[in-house]
Amino acid sequence: MSTPTINVPDVPYLDISDPSFAMQSEALRSAREQSWYARTNFGLAVLRYDEVSKLLKSPQLIQGSAKWPAHNGVHGGLFYDWWTKNLLVLEGEDHHRIRRLLNPAFSPRLIKELVPRFQELANELVDAFIEAGECEFVRDFAEPYATRVLTILLGIPESEWPKIARLASTVGLALGVTFKQDLDKVEAAVAELYEYAEELIKDRQADPGEDFVSRLVLANRDGDRLSDEELRNALVLLIFGGMDTTRNQLGLAMQSFMRNPEQWELLARRPDLGGKAVEEVMRTNPTVTWVTREAVEDFTYQGLFIEKGTTVHLFTQSSGTDPRAFPDPGMDLLGEHAPHYGFGGGVHHCLGHFVARADMSEALPLLARRLADPHLAGGDEWLPDSGNTGPVRLPIAFTKRA
Amino acid sequence: MNTIDVDRSLCDNHGQCAIAAPAVFRMNAEGILEYEATVEDALLDEVEEAIDVCPVQAIFLKN
Ligand code: HEM
Ligand code: HEM
Ligand code: SF4
Repeated sequence: MSTPTINVPDVPYLDISDPSFAMQSEALRSAREQSWYARTNFGLAVLRYDEVSKLLKSPQLIQGSAKWPAHNGVHGGLFYDWWTKNLLVLEGEDHHRIRRLLNPAFSPRLIKELVPRFQELANELVDAFIEAGECEFVRDFAEPYATRVLTILLGIPESEWPKIARLASTVGLALGVTFKQDLDKVEAAVAELYEYAEELIKDRQADPGEDFVSRLVLANRDGDRLSDEELRNALVLLIFGGMDTTRNQLGLAMQSFMRNPEQWELLARRPDLGGKAVEEVMRTNPTVTWVTREAVEDFTYQGLFIEKGTTVHLFTQSSGTDPRAFPDPGMDLLGEHAPHYGFGGGVHHCLGHFVARADMSEALPLLARRLADPHLAGGDEWLPDSGNTGPVRLPIAFTKRA
Repeated sequence: MNTIDVDRSLCDNHGQCAIAAPAVFRMNAEGILEYEATVEDALLDEVEEAIDVCPVQAIFLKN
């Protein structure tokens, strides 16, 4: 965290910690028209597509999230140790070494093999509520789907999913404004996830197979391998980074399609558009509303002096609907659009994106094929727009199609 | 000889290839990809890995 160092009078200002701060608002759109960046109460916000694209990959910016615990007055403990040593916040060769060792397990070819299991799972979940004509979409689909996909990937018994979901969400409290109050709960959850991960690792080391965790255990590059601690940290990061994100993104997808019913009908007729559906939802309604970076040195970008230590928030939805890059920014499964940054970009580009893309691009057309006319049934609750957003509760009603 | 072709209309300069196969791909000071157009067999494993990890699947190899 750093105090804003920029003081240019005709640049827009955004209070990003105001609970009512809205990404998809007139205020933000007019700020984006006025300037490519805004000042905020926590550093800068970058609003336009080209600038987000360039700064995301700029060698002058590093992962800004390393300082998150310290920013919240947390300077030690299990969470702190894990956070400050995980792939997401490591930089340079420390980061690249771990990433090289993790990469092979995430090969798109290997992930394709899991697709039939994703379809089976989605159908099983829909079967459970289809006759009722209504469901609580987060509880009945998004959360179990996102979590069980992770258990399938990691080879954890699927029956364990409620526990894993609870632990991951508890660790997620560390990213919220009440981090300091929740610290004891967070520490206990990290400890429990560590135990899970350690058991998995021991098990696969004793009896390696063809599965994902075995591949990580056996990963080897020019004689280098992951230590047990590195493996454990990575597994916990996958659980933590893969579950709430996918759950929230699926909830947001349902919201997007309820707002664009003709696109839902199109998807129901054209399941081959599942991949495009994921891209369009993430471009126009991303769960990760900004990616945080920090300037490692003083530099000037487009005439703006950015001082070393400045926090820079790269806004995803704002860049993904910037009329300069998307003249017709609305959701359109048949449109040809530039790539979005809902999975971040540059060296920290989401490691799990092939998994997330594969599972969501199966889930969405399958839902469209089975549920006609989904609409809000009342009682929905939402996370704030800062950081990671999405529905906490999303009751919907629909007509059974299949 | 093995020829590498990066489709520049797809490449978004994420630099994941340069992490996976630093002997073949690198990012210049402006953050733009530079790469060897031909590689020896000894580097093929690395190149395959770069092909796999490219987020936009922009790398193609011809043997
Ligand atoms: C829709 C679902 C997902 C979304 C929206 C998402 C989004 C992101 C974003 C924006 C980043 C970059 C963060 C930054 O640069 O500060 C990231 C990184 C990461 N994600 Fe995902 N993610 C998703 C699913 C997954 C899944 C399923 C996994 C694992 C199986 C995963 C594992 C990771 C890891 C390990 C990183 C850190 C990569 C690095 O720093 O090198 N993510 N994700
Ligand atoms: C130094 C790095 C970071 C800074 C300066 C920062 C800043 C902020 C700010 C200003 C807010 C608004 C709430 C408030 O504190 O008043 C916020 C909320 C949030 N941030 Fe960050 N953030 C950072 C890193 C991260 C990272 C790495 C993540 C997740 C990957 C994250 C996830 C969130 C979430 C989920 C919220 C919403 C919390 C809530 O409202 O309950 N942040 N952050
Ligand atoms: S990983 Fe792909 S997108 Fe990134 S620089 Fe290499 S070729 Fe370009």
